[in-house]
Amino acid sequence: MSVSILWAFILSSVTTLQSPIALPTDVLKQEQERVALVKKISPPTVAVVSGGGSGVLISEEGYALTNFHVVGTGSPALKCGLPDGKLYDGVIVGLDKMGDLALIKLIGPKPEFKFPFATMGDSDEVQTGDWAVAAGNPFLLASDFTPTVTFGLVSGTHRYQYPERGMFEYTDCIQMDASINPGNSGGPLFNMKGQLIGINGRGSFDKRGRVNSGVGYAISINQCKKFMGSLKAGLRVEHAGLGALVGTVDDSAISRVLVNQVIPSDAMRRGIQPEDQIISFAGRPIATVNQFKNILGTIPAGWKVPIGIRRITETGETKRIDLLVRLTSGERPEPPVKPEQSQDRPGQPKPAPKPLPDIVKAIYESKNGYANFHFNKVSRDSALLRLQNQLKLLDQKGDWIIKGTGTLQEKNNSSNWQLSISTAREAVEGKPAKPDLVAVSLDGIDFSLEPLKADLEPKALRDPPGSGGLLVALFQMRQLLALGTAGFPGEGISHGGMEPYWAPGNSAEPITQRKSIMAEVLKSSLGGIQGRWYLDPESGYLLAVEFTIDPNEDTCEIHFANPVTDSAGRRLPRDWVVIHGDKTFARLKVSDWKLSP
Amino acid sequence: MIRKFTAIAFLVLGTTILPGQESLSQIFNKTYPKLVKLYGAGGIRGLAGYGTGVVISPDGLVLTVNNHLIEGGDLVAHLYDGTRVPVKVIAREPELDAALLKLGSAKQTFDDLPFFDVEVAVKAKLAAPGDPVLAFSNAFQIATRDEPVTIMQGNIASYGRLFGKIGIFDIPYSGNVYVVDAITNNPGSAGGALTDRNGNLLGLVGREVRNELTNTWVNYAIPIQAQIDVRGPTGITRTSIMDLVRKKEAYRPAPKADKPAQVEAYTGMILVSNLIDRTPPFVEEVVPGSPAALVGIRADDLIVYVDGIPVPSIISYRELMARYKPGDKVRMDVRRRDQLVGMEIVPIKPPEVPKQGPGQAIHQIIPGVRP
Repeated sequence: MSVSILWAFILSSVTTLQSPIALPTDVLKQEQERVALVKKISPPTVAVVSGGGSGVLISEEGYALTNFHVVGTGSPALKCGLPDGKLYDGVIVGLDKMGDLALIKLIGPKPEFKFPFATMGDSDEVQTGDWAVAAGNPFLLASDFTPTVTFGLVSGTHRYQYPERGMFEYTDCIQMDASINPGNSGGPLFNMKGQLIGINGRGSFDKRGRVNSGVGYAISINQCKKFMGSLKAGLRVEHAGLGALVGTVDDSAISRVLVNQVIPSDAMRRGIQPEDQIISFAGRPIATVNQFKNILGTIPAGWKVPIGIRRITETGETKRIDLLVRLTSGERPEPPVKPEQSQDRPGQPKPAPKPLPDIVKAIYESKNGYANFHFNKVSRDSALLRLQNQLKLLDQKGDWIIKGTGTLQEKNNSSNWQLSISTAREAVEGKPAKPDLVAVSLDGIDFSLEPLKADLEPKALRDPPGSGGLLVALFQMRQLLALGTAGFPGEGISHGGMEPYWAPGNSAEPITQRKSIMAEVLKSSLGGIQGRWYLDPESGYLLAVEFTIDPNEDTCEIHFANPVTDSAGRRLPRDWVVIHGDKTFARLKVSDWKLSP
Repeated sequence: MIRKFTAIAFLVLGTTILPGQESLSQIFNKTYPKLVKLYGAGGIRGLAGYGTGVVISPDGLVLTVNNHLIEGGDLVAHLYDGTRVPVKVIAREPELDAALLKLGSAKQTFDDLPFFDVEVAVKAKLAAPGDPVLAFSNAFQIATRDEPVTIMQGNIASYGRLFGKIGIFDIPYSGNVYVVDAITNNPGSAGGALTDRNGNLLGLVGREVRNELTNTWVNYAIPIQAQIDVRGPTGITRTSIMDLVRKKEAYRPAPKADKPAQVEAYTGMILVSNLIDRTPPFVEEVVPGSPAALVGIRADDLIVYVDGIPVPSIISYRELMARYKPGDKVRMDVRRRDQLVGMEIVPIKPPEVPKQGPGQAIHQIIPGVRP
């Protein structure tokens, strides 16, 4: 019996050799396309040797994405293999624990070395039923770092997967039946054009053990894009929270999402109330808490997003309200490690961490709150340089007098106004000593503040009334623009990643019609006052500043537009809009800047 | 060679879109609304409290697998558009491991639900090994409300009888199945749809089972054409999924003409839910004043012997008890903690039960045993 089977096999093999099967041209074409696809997607696929996972290069400088759970808890120095067969050193750049994402950078043999990299697609265009290809290093199979490529169907889009032990929440993710196994984590998912659409990182496992069950999940590349600015800035990023607790109400056939409780936050200050129904969030319709969490999880903490609400008023009318709300951090602080939980055994010296290789040491700096402070400094200095190149105000340390006309609190009558910021001076030749002073003259009313005086009254910090602290804001602005980082001793200036910037709209324009642009953010801290500086990511031009005197209060925002180039080549903004909370405090038009070094 | 041919078939039918053929995302969009996510009994010991059903009529008839999920009273479905509706069990067919359900209630009725036409599906040719297939199910309860169910792709690996087991129990279905090369049978997948490349219904995705011989997981679906010969008191009867759909009741052996239907011997013991085929006969409740209460049987007693015959399961207990009529003396031995306690019960005529409307599960005709 077995002999005859063998004979049959040999005969059929011979037959195959003698007359090859004529394949339809469609099939041959498909086959060639797939070979080409694998050729295209293999070179940027990374075998993250330290951590035992995968990754994918996304830029020629060597930036690569992987999972937090592959690299996030080990040494910042990494060893990564590429399909060229070589092992490269790498370093952690940015970490996103909740989103299970990490940005790493591979180090080339010389500075001008160019890595192969994958181009990113648009994961919102991915449809259930599309084919997809996963690449990676399952079971650490490839000793030469050639990736394993698996093929399958997109089984679902916009999926929500609950966090595991308070981390690794997969929101708005892509589900696929391509085989995903241990070691695939952090590797790329491509569409059939070879564009990167996701980072594979999780699967549903049950009775069959932790191997492929036909249900794998990839973090959507569009979510990765939203966090990229923060990751590149070396941050440990946080995911957003609304500042309100919501729940699905299941009392009818179609469910609704209602606000249960509002905690002090921007959401509260913008007027979100218990019993409000959330109908849209960041541009997507909402009917279940899953949908809400799905979108919320893709947004970094601190972003401003539009929220649509349906409210039944006291008179029983149904009203739609659209708000722009700055999201809080949705992450709970990690509980401190109790001594008995600590893995360090008492009495035993902690093993010294392995020294970093020199090549990594040069681009790594440890700091609380950062994954790699070195990259934050690099991003910050680059942004500051571009900012200073636009405004050219550095070293204008003397008195500033800015004059113009403007309207206050949306009144129609325009009046003259003057802002002046003068520096401290010691007593000389009969002139008395003078402290630092900021003065504002608006519509004939004068306000002034000695910003460096100790024990300033809370009211003085917020002058002029209704501005949220314009005097303080002006002083801090000049600190950075005239003195640079030297003006911010202590915590100083850091890079805050990228976030959407919403230019002030006019009151007639509904929020749903307004558009944001992505802006680079610098963060400052001086005298307990937190500043955010929005920069155009291309030019470095200053779009707006925002100062927080008390995190439980609305900020003082100054938005800038229509820059005019003066004789010294400075691009100084002509139009200023000062906003506090929901109200425009002033619209100003600058006619004259008087600066002195 | 077989592998090669399979691969070719896959290439031709699986990924290439032939002229006039719809893309898989188009197929998905038109197929997923024909499935419902089911929520019912379970949630313990590896038994999922969720599953999938296939809509087979515009007014909401649904086919699913006859598993533990539909044992409980509160069965709920989420439709493709997010609507949540109550579900009634119309009939269960253990022989085919299938069940017929109905969506809605007196207040909530449907007439235009997207559905699979089973009359067409049952007349279609059986799928053959190598054919590309799609599976639609709510595996792992990934989807709720209006979130679409999961789609997977694979090929028919074989068609034949299945020797499988769930835990240590044999699967209840002994007919032919499609074995699929994709991991289609996950928690919650049972009752989903196996379709061809164009979304035409081929069968119901089965349970999570292991092969009896190799102990490996098998992914199978019960063909919509499934039929099975059942040996009853009057001989062999052939029953099929379509019989279940058309008659809206399960196969029941015809009572023998010479023997009048017997009156049930009622003891007043309510046993635990018969979740699996070998659920041991634990007493959950005793009806006060009933024969069982009179002799001191209590909740949590395990019935071990009925007149000296061991009763390992609720099913064997039911079979044995069917031999007794009211007034007969029955000796029962129950295990209570570490003791074996014996007693003699005299069952009575079952008390009057309110008339059951159509659509009540047929198992409820056995009094004293809670479904």
